[in-house]
Amino acid sequence: MGKTLLVCRLAVRDVRHHLAQAVLLVIAIAAATATLTMALALNGVTSQPPYAATRAATKGPDVVAYLTSTSQAKKLVKAPGVANHSGPFPVASGIIRFDGRQADVFAEGRTTAPAEVDQPLVTSGTWVRPGGIVIQRTFADALGVSVGDQVTLNGESFAVAGIAVTAAQSAYPNLCNGTHLGPTPAASKFSDACPFPSFNIPLLSVHGSDTATASSDDVGQIWMTEADAIGLTSKVNPLTTYALNLKLTNPDNAQAFAYDRATAANAPLFSTWQGLGSEDAVLVEDGHGVLEPGAVLLALLAIASVAVLVGRRLSEYERRVGLLKAVGGTPSLVAATFLAENLVLALLAAVIGLLAGWLVSPLITSPGAALIGTAGAPSFSLSTAADVVGLAVVVALAATLLPAIRAARSSTVDALNDVARPPRRRRKLIGLSNRLPVPALFGLRLVARRPRRALLSAANIAVTVTGIVAVLAFHAYADGRLSGASAVTATGLSDPVINRDEQMLTVITVMLVTLAVLNALFTTWATVLDARHSSALMRALGARARQVTSGLVVAQVLSALPGAILGVPLGFGLFTAAVHGGALPPKSWLVATVIGTLIAMASLTVVPAQLGTRQPVAEVLASEAA
Amino acid sequence: MQQEVVLAMLAKEPSQGFQLRARLDQALGALGEAMNDGQIYVTLGRLEKAGLVVRQHVPISADRRGPKVYELTATGQERVSEWLGEVSWPKPDLAEFHLKLIAAAAAGLADPIGIVDVQRRELIRRLREAQRAAMAESDGSEAGLLLEGITLRLQADLRWLEACERSWTDRRKRS
Amino acid sequence: MNEEESVLLARGLRKEYGSGEGLVRAVDAVDLEVARGETLAIMGPSGCGKSTMLHLMGGLDRPSAGELWLNGSRIDRLSERGLAQLRRHEIGFIFQAFHLMDELTAQENVELPALLAGRSPREARRRAFQLLDQVGLGERATHLPSALSGGQRQRVAIARALANEPLLVLADEPTGNLDSAATLEVLRLFEDLHTGGLTLVVVTHDERIAATADRMISMRDGAFVDETRLTGSTSGNLAGLIGLGS
Repeated sequence: MGKTLLVCRLAVRDVRHHLAQAVLLVIAIAAATATLTMALALNGVTSQPPYAATRAATKGPDVVAYLTSTSQAKKLVKAPGVANHSGPFPVASGIIRFDGRQADVFAEGRTTAPAEVDQPLVTSGTWVRPGGIVIQRTFADALGVSVGDQVTLNGESFAVAGIAVTAAQSAYPNLCNGTHLGPTPAASKFSDACPFPSFNIPLLSVHGSDTATASSDDVGQIWMTEADAIGLTSKVNPLTTYALNLKLTNPDNAQAFAYDRATAANAPLFSTWQGLGSEDAVLVEDGHGVLEPGAVLLALLAIASVAVLVGRRLSEYERRVGLLKAVGGTPSLVAATFLAENLVLALLAAVIGLLAGWLVSPLITSPGAALIGTAGAPSFSLSTAADVVGLAVVVALAATLLPAIRAARSSTVDALNDVARPPRRRRKLIGLSNRLPVPALFGLRLVARRPRRALLSAANIAVTVTGIVAVLAFHAYADGRLSGASAVTATGLSDPVINRDEQMLTVITVMLVTLAVLNALFTTWATVLDARHSSALMRALGARARQVTSGLVVAQVLSALPGAILGVPLGFGLFTAAVHGGALPPKSWLVATVIGTLIAMASLTVVPAQLGTRQPVAEVLASEAA
Repeated sequence: MQQEVVLAMLAKEPSQGFQLRARLDQALGALGEAMNDGQIYVTLGRLEKAGLVVRQHVPISADRRGPKVYELTATGQERVSEWLGEVSWPKPDLAEFHLKLIAAAAAGLADPIGIVDVQRRELIRRLREAQRAAMAESDGSEAGLLLEGITLRLQADLRWLEACERSWTDRRKRS
Repeated sequence: MNEEESVLLARGLRKEYGSGEGLVRAVDAVDLEVARGETLAIMGPSGCGKSTMLHLMGGLDRPSAGELWLNGSRIDRLSERGLAQLRRHEIGFIFQAFHLMDELTAQENVELPALLAGRSPREARRRAFQLLDQVGLGERATHLPSALSGGQRQRVAIARALANEPLLVLADEPTGNLDSAATLEVLRLFEDLHTGGLTLVVVTHDERIAATADRMISMRDGAFVDETRLTGSTSGNLAGLIGLGS
């Protein structure tokens, strides 16, 4: 018991002594855990498909058939294997207008009473009523409507009674990218044609000139009363489509059921629940392609920052171990102290990261909000929390074990005298630096004497620049996609996929930049601290404070340069690994990134360097070993 | 001059007075130079009287006599062996000084710190001399070794005097 | 003392840390004059402020109050830039811990101040060799400090302090980390330099170093308490040292 208390007291004292370092460590680990949390949340959305949840909540159909007349329904309803059905419901074509935006819609006529199969779940507002329509959720987002707004359908005014989700159709904007059953099951997945037999109004946004089969990205799904739906039709816009929802005794037979009937002459068009489900997954996977590499990068950056912090503590740690060993204490006591400290800090960081991730995740997952379970806070499972805490603990352990092992192996005397690592000598560099002005002389020699630290610095910068370049590449890519999608600009609707991707990107960019700045701060601060003794000695020998500061800047830029340059190809590599097919961002951006990073590192070095030169030389020399 | 020292100098071989002198000079360096010539002969005389040394002519040939040399007797040789085996270390005179300070303070005759300061100055001067002499010697000379010993002991004494000063200053502050 | 002859002049020099209850007077209203070519030793117990005094004299720290004059110019109010200039050209400093750069050879260490002062690399190198010769380390010019003994390292540091022909050399416990033999090396060197006209102020614990000085000052609690003139004051009784004169 006494020993535990001792360890706790030592740990608290140590943290207080190095409060700034402790805070920075917490921030770095928190950033890593926050990213991991978000990645896991999004992963949770895809791996355990909310489509299943939606299907369960809306009594989703196993097979949806699109008929040209109600007589086709009887045969299907009576087919072997069919357990239940709803419909056939009339489906009218229409154009919806709201607030200057317009889009094509399929309006399904429904009863006010709930159907037995496919009863869309209303997430806000109420179900259909005369004069009141219900809009599919992602479509409503894109259109910008909310419950209570007035919209125009084929020239007539309707109120938005509610917003709902369904499992019977793919969510906007994939309504017509969905599962039109093709000649083979395999070809069924991604087809350009809409599952609806015909769209009777000239489509607003059409890739081909064929109005007979709708083929666009921007068709939305709405529900209204049967009377209202029929009211939309006219001589030029006749009612030619009916939707029939089927529930099978064995849902797994859905594909076979549909395929058997799809090839007959005048057959209806079919959708199956498996196809619909996979389509929805694509929506989220798309985003995954952005978040995952982003998360990896952030995690790397966070670990790099932690590495810098831990690296500095290594030598202090060894000295402390030596001291304790000399007075009879065991390395295990010091290791226990360090471990306790790091664990507590890491756990604190994990909690902060979890909270941050929990708050930020909705931003990322909600545009995929066609599906249940993704509105508001994402579902947090115990496993997510466990993973995150696990990461934090691993980091804490790694940060402790490495120095502990080294310290245990080193001799007490060496640790006390800090003999372990003398600076390196590079004759040629020293000779070369002779001819240079004082700042360059100093800076070059600083890099030469501690090459490993310079390398660590370079690695840090490389990771930072990698992240920035990857993000730039994605921005360029996203811009390209946006400008190519004329459908979007013509009707003024926002593409929710791109929207969501951009939001994710913004979040990741902000986090990246924050972490990069933090990382840069750690690195420059570490550079200045490591050079304290040399700086003081140079001043004692007559170097001016400004020369010393410039020298530190030179040292920092020299070690940052290779890292910054390396980061460009690495960043692009990361981007292409995540998003297939993308062009390198414009050269000017890349050059600007490299130069900008170097300038940032230089400026960030100036402040701690100048602070360092304020301290009296004698004090520094007395306290620091070389 | 310690008698045993002169005795020991004769142990190697019988010598004339001036040869003895030369050997001492070599061993003592600058310190030896300051020594009075007469000192040696006085000591030799005493040793003769005590029967530890005998003076006689050195025979050169059957009929010629060389100069007179001093030579150890058997008793003298015994004495030398004894002396070489002794382990006593010359006593420093600290007790006297210590008592001097206490007496001065108790009787109010003088300021003990003043006494210490004066003594320190004297010792520092001596240290300076000894040091200079030491540095004038070449490396590895016998005299150099002796001088090093003297400087180190003076240094030790000075350290003690510093301690005295501290202690007496504190004592004054407290009273 | 003629003011023109004094290299360093201090009047009412003070250095204080903290405030109120926690006020510490490291140097308390000290007056000092150092003549050209003089060797001055400052002795005192730990914490008496002698090192602080030296740092003030060398421009490594700023006084809280008082005046400091070097060769007739006022230096206590100099800017950081001015102090750097001072350290480069007028003052050489020798530390107890040597503070050599471990990755530089002896000659590279010694030439550093010359390079900082803007001399050409060739000239700086030449001067470094010359100085190393002077301190008796000519053959070890290309050795790293790790290959040198303590005494040799301090001699390299002394050579470094002389690189730019300073007016004044300040030494802070130069033999603090050295054994007896190494101390003797340094002593000899100081004697030689003194003969050559060097002005030297040494702060030391070691009475042997103090004994080489022309003047010795005792310091306690930030103030000078005693001064002893050592030149020309021998008792002339060498033999008295060994008790052979009885």
